Amino acid sequence: METYLKNKKLIAIGFLLIHSIAILIFTRGFLLTRTELPFHSTCSDVSLSPCLTSPPPPIHDSNPDSLSSHSNHTQPKCWTKPVVDRVIIIVLDALRIDFVAPSAFFPEPKPWMDKLTILQKLAFANESSAKIFKAFADPPTTSLQRLKGLTTGGLPTFIDVGNSFGAPAIVEDNFINQLVQNGKRLVMMGDDTWTQLFPNQFQKSYPFPSFNVKDLDTVDNGCIEHLFPTLYKDDWDVLIAHFLGVDHAGHIFGVDSSPMIKKLEQYNSVLEKVISILESQAGPGGLHENTILIVMGDHGQTLNGDHGGGTAEEVETSMYAMSTKKHTTSVPPEFDTSSCKQNSNGKQICISSIEQLDFAATLSALLGISSPFGSIGHVNPELYALGSSNWDLDKSESGNSGTQSAVKEWMENYVNVLCVNAWQVKRYIDVYSSSSVVGFSSDDMARISDLYAAAEQKWSNSVKHILMDRNGDENSTNISAFKEQIAAYLNFFSSVVELARSKWTEFNLNLMITGFGILVISLIIQFLVVFHGDKSYALGSWLSTGAAFTLFLVTIRACSFLSNSYILEEGKVANFLLATTGLIKLRYSVMRKTMRKEAVIFLAMASVLRVSIDIGLTKQAATSQFMSSSPSSMLGIALDLPALTYAIEIAPIVSVVMLICVLYIAIAKTPSEGMWKYVTVGSMISYFLIALLWASESKIFGLDGVLQVTGGRNRIPQTVYAIGLVQLFLLAYARMFCTGEKRVWATRAVALVSACSSPVILLSGKQGSLLALAYLLAGYCIMRLEGVERITQSDRQDKFSKLNPLCVMQWSLLSICMFFASGHWCAFDGLRYGAAFVGFDEFVLIRQAILLTIETFGFSVILSVFGLPILVPIHSQTPQAHGQKRHQLFQMYMLFGVISATTVTATILCVTIQRRHLMVWGLFAPKFVFDVVGLILTDLLICLASAYYF
Amino acid sequence: MKEGKKKKKTETSIGESISALGAFFVYLITGLFLAVGFWVVGEKYSVDLISDPSLTLRLLWIIEFPIVVIIYSLFRRNPEKCSYFRAVGRSILGLISGAIINALGAVSLGAPIGLQSLPKTIHWSFLMSVFTVVPATAVFGASWTNWHRVFASLKPTGNIEYMILIPAYGAIIGGWFGAWPMPLDWERPWQEWPICVCYGAIGGYIVGQIVSLSLMIFLRKHKNLKLA
Repeated sequence: METYLKNKKLIAIGFLLIHSIAILIFTRGFLLTRTELPFHSTCSDVSLSPCLTSPPPPIHDSNPDSLSSHSNHTQPKCWTKPVVDRVIIIVLDALRIDFVAPSAFFPEPKPWMDKLTILQKLAFANESSAKIFKAFADPPTTSLQRLKGLTTGGLPTFIDVGNSFGAPAIVEDNFINQLVQNGKRLVMMGDDTWTQLFPNQFQKSYPFPSFNVKDLDTVDNGCIEHLFPTLYKDDWDVLIAHFLGVDHAGHIFGVDSSPMIKKLEQYNSVLEKVISILESQAGPGGLHENTILIVMGDHGQTLNGDHGGGTAEEVETSMYAMSTKKHTTSVPPEFDTSSCKQNSNGKQICISSIEQLDFAATLSALLGISSPFGSIGHVNPELYALGSSNWDLDKSESGNSGTQSAVKEWMENYVNVLCVNAWQVKRYIDVYSSSSVVGFSSDDMARISDLYAAAEQKWSNSVKHILMDRNGDENSTNISAFKEQIAAYLNFFSSVVELARSKWTEFNLNLMITGFGILVISLIIQFLVVFHGDKSYALGSWLSTGAAFTLFLVTIRACSFLSNSYILEEGKVANFLLATTGLIKLRYSVMRKTMRKEAVIFLAMASVLRVSIDIGLTKQAATSQFMSSSPSSMLGIALDLPALTYAIEIAPIVSVVMLICVLYIAIAKTPSEGMWKYVTVGSMISYFLIALLWASESKIFGLDGVLQVTGGRNRIPQTVYAIGLVQLFLLAYARMFCTGEKRVWATRAVALVSACSSPVILLSGKQGSLLALAYLLAGYCIMRLEGVERITQSDRQDKFSKLNPLCVMQWSLLSICMFFASGHWCAFDGLRYGAAFVGFDEFVLIRQAILLTIETFGFSVILSVFGLPILVPIHSQTPQAHGQKRHQLFQMYMLFGVISATTVTATILCVTIQRRHLMVWGLFAPKFVFDVVGLILTDLLICLASAYYF
Repeated sequence: MKEGKKKKKTETSIGESISALGAFFVYLITGLFLAVGFWVVGEKYSVDLISDPSLTLRLLWIIEFPIVVIIYSLFRRNPEKCSYFRAVGRSILGLISGAIINALGAVSLGAPIGLQSLPKTIHWSFLMSVFTVVPATAVFGASWTNWHRVFASLKPTGNIEYMILIPAYGAIIGGWFGAWPMPLDWERPWQEWPICVCYGAIGGYIVGQIVSLSLMIFLRKHKNLKLA
């Protein structure tokens, strides 16, 4: 028998391994990860590059006063020569390409097209210094990820492994950071996401709340109010205005709706006014003599107003760029990406295209600052040309050699900018692959290095010399050399971006399916173990009502994950199912005329949990972008009655005291068995300390002095952790070396659960003790009701070792409810970061991560796995019955494992199916992460529990 | 033995027996009055379940309740000992207690508990009580053994007990399934509590009536075959 149980331990470890492997493989395919590097670019870095650190000298020498005479705040030169002084970035959230581009580019005109007429008019005017670009965003197309992508010049993934612990602030080097570092002054107005991402960088900011999707105007009106006065001021270099109206109108009404068209018309008039202000100030010496205006979308949207995924409608957005200088260099046709159409008047109109990836690098080059360390974009030739009109202005006007010279001038600058740019990208790729968790493969690295080496070779051999000693002769050969050089660099950039995309934005479906397949196979094996593993102790039959109902519940829960709505309200769904099982049990108990009280208490506990889940949902609705906060689910009564506040303060402490009583009774009732008992006494001390801590924190007891006596508010929690650790150590010791009577595993279970529960309760805060009490009570009722379906008393004795799967299902549902009732939900903002600092002030990653894990999965995994033995009734304690019980307990563990694994498999299947869903990053992926971590933890704890109990 | 017992009962209590055809007419009348309720709500008050759930539900149960009581009290147990009006009186008590039980069940399953949804919950549970508890109280009264036998042990004997049991369970199960669309984000007005639960319950009630009717016919044929 002992060897048999040892084999069973191996079974548990085996499942842990199989699940880990399957999940690892699936995750490699699904959750694209990228490591955030902590490095920053600085101006002095450029001396390491092979490029010219000073711009081609002749310009400065020949035209000392051509520019920079008017710029009051000339910065010491950084990476490249600045070409514009000020930048105005107007972000119109969710700006589809067909909002901006003329309807001639689309198969048929729609009502929402051609509304931003001012942009089209300027872009297609003769001698225009404005251009419309079709901008390609990279998925995930949500505002936060896109702003991150735009400013870092990288491809943010779902999990950017970095140091931001909770706060969304961008830690990686980024464009905004570079601006601040180079002494540029920033003004921001509009969407408050910017101030979350960049909490300290803006000199002035006018943030407006963005999460009320139904509010179309607050953010926009706030923007408009501050935008026009700011345009007349000279105390900024970069202005960012982020309008949200179009995004919100899309979410609420869809694209083809009158609010959307009104919004677009409003924007048109705003832009008209902005442009007229700029033009009025654009004269020599004016405020906006050398300003570039960029109007852009951060992502597109579908006709329903959704975005987040990677479809063409969501990814294609637009960008309009306009320089206040009237003359612009024309880009050589090799690098011109524009596509042209005839408009209704027969006029040739062109729009160009740009990758959002290139935004950070291009703007950095325009402003002459160092580009962000992690940027993998390149300087876009057309956008760069728009800004760089000012060099050749004097030259071409003085009639030297016209456009030919202008093109040459532009190319000399551009090729040097690209050189610096390429060097920076190569540096990032090298550093990334050597220092990140999952780097690039060596083949890819070799290919990229070859391309870069070839381009650099060409640079140092010829182009550099041409630039260094410019004689002005051999124009044509020089230009072709430049062109070749630019082409070589662009080739390098495109292969870098291709590699980065494949690594950071594309799912690997093969890996996903392999992982899922392994999981399904392990699930089948688990089912076989549960149902056929050991005939005499296995489940009754497939057709028993309990098993059938369990199967029904598992199936219905698994199917519910297919819809985002059920994932959002998973807690309520689990509670609904739990209460349903309670009602079924109530019916049986009425039928058998026994234990009606337990059934009613169980239902009451389900109702308590449900209220708690409702409170958690309102918290979730406040932060989630997918949920509208529904006040109808709140109690309609004021919560500030004095009696109620007293009750709220006192209830947790009272329930801790009740828990102490329960433990005392548990110890007193079981036969004495040294070690285990002392461990349980330790938990009682912990509980007492927790009660003391809470009592001293609340004002009504007047126990403030206690904290001073015990030495600060951290001392008590630390003591509780220490007691918990000592208890676990003692339990492990006792398990290994005390070969006492095996019969007392009920005592052991009490000892282990109580040892684990005190830190969990402490971390969960004041609701913890109430929930623990509800949990205990509900668990007790499940145990009592376990055999209630069986026909008669004698029959119950007869089928005594047959396991009733329904009670394990109830326990599993209860643990899921506990997860939600303790104020969690499956999102990273649902983690209670505050819990990581209970008892500690300073941040140590591993320690705080462990605390956070205990807090998150404490009730739902740790206590529920270790507490599973309380489901086994403890009436008859004959040795033979005891042996049977142990086998039954093992079967229960297997069953619990199979239920958890089934739900996780369902989650994985749904995530695979929904991988192109709008909410895949907002909802499905976090759910996946929480489930997977929960499953691995469950498997691990089942291993530990089977080592401990058997 | 059961047969004999039943025969004795049918001899003593005339009101208890009902043929499948009779059951069909009972169902027809109750269904008709449900339809009348909807018609009155729509015509006289020009609202419906979606625009004003609490008013609609109130009218529905107020119209449905008398007819159910009047019909089912005809089939009361022991008509000699228990007068018709007593049966009516106890069904009013049954209505209230059934409503409380239904409301508690709904709240434990997750019905909203705010003050603004309180009237809806109350009227919904009264309607559910009319579907589930009222017929049984009219017929059985406070006889716990009958309740226990029919509802808990699911051992109905005789047509009238089928008529009590199956539509009642149908309404509950229908309501349970009717709750499933509620969390979906379709943003339809009928997803609000208790509209779709109500539709589910009415649907389940009707399905239960059909099932019980066919069961009665099937069982009678079966019995005839047996006898033959």
